[in-house]
Amino acid sequence: MLRAMGGRSAQAARLLAPRSAVLVETVRGRKSRNDPVAKSKEGRIKVPPPVDPVEMVVMKQRFGEYQMILKALRLEFREEVLRRKYEEETGSLAEERARQDAEEHRALMTWNDEENVRMLNVRMMRIQRENEEAERNKLEAALQREQEQQEFIKEREREILQLQEDAKNFITLENLDQRIEEVLDKPKNYNFAVDKEGRVVKQTVLQ
Amino acid sequence: MPRYELSLILKAMQRPETAAALRRTVETLLERGAVVRNLENLGERQLPYKITKHNERHRRGAYFLIDFYSAPSLLTGLLDHLYRDVDVVRPAILKKDDQVKTSKTKSCCGTQH
Repeated sequence: MLRAMGGRSAQAARLLAPRSAVLVETVRGRKSRNDPVAKSKEGRIKVPPPVDPVEMVVMKQRFGEYQMILKALRLEFREEVLRRKYEEETGSLAEERARQDAEEHRALMTWNDEENVRMLNVRMMRIQRENEEAERNKLEAALQREQEQQEFIKEREREILQLQEDAKNFITLENLDQRIEEVLDKPKNYNFAVDKEGRVVKQTVLQ
Repeated sequence: MPRYELSLILKAMQRPETAAALRRTVETLLERGAVVRNLENLGERQLPYKITKHNERHRRGAYFLIDFYSAPSLLTGLLDHLYRDVDVVRPAILKKDDQVKTSKTKSCCGTQH
């Protein structure tokens, strides 16, 4: 709280300081700690301001009363705040509210459990249905595949038979001459013409 | 086995010589292990342009089709042989496409099979 302002006088310090603040004794103005005392201030003894006893007594009493009242008020208010807080936390209403919260919580939990159970059942049903679908699809696919395989085999067998039939007409060394004679006798004409209606015309003559 | 078609243009010759050339070709094929399926004659006709082959200028040729089954490894040898044959004007070996199934498609005029 000791304020040393270099370069400013104590007066200025007293003026600048707030009015309600108590005046501080040691305010070092122009001089610093080790400077000698001024000649005009050599024998100076600092004396506190005189006190008027009557005034002092009256002031003391009045101030005491005032402060007592204020302190009482403050304590009252503080107590009320604390009481309210206490009431809030551990009063009867608080108990009611706590009980109701607990009830609500329990009710909601039970509801939640029921919902879970219900959803579980629904889910199980769904999964079961899906599994059955999958099974059915698998079976169907297997059947389909079997069928396709059979078709394929039949197709191939048919082709083989066809080829065996055709093989009777293939050219070998024995029928080579005969076939050549046949071929030279019968020239074949693949030329034809079509128009947009689809009528075919095979009149082209070889030259 | 894959199915090939040999389209052959032979020199315009008399019948016995043509027969001999054909016989030669088919015998070569059979020797090399092909299976000859069918022979077709497309007639003796004028070539679309004059072809010079084996020091001879040809204006007419006899067109023949031979379809056969063989392994693909035979083809280069066969083609070599045909190029060297004096009576052959132009050989061509092509793969044979699958026949169009006439039962499934609508009546597609033009296919003769």
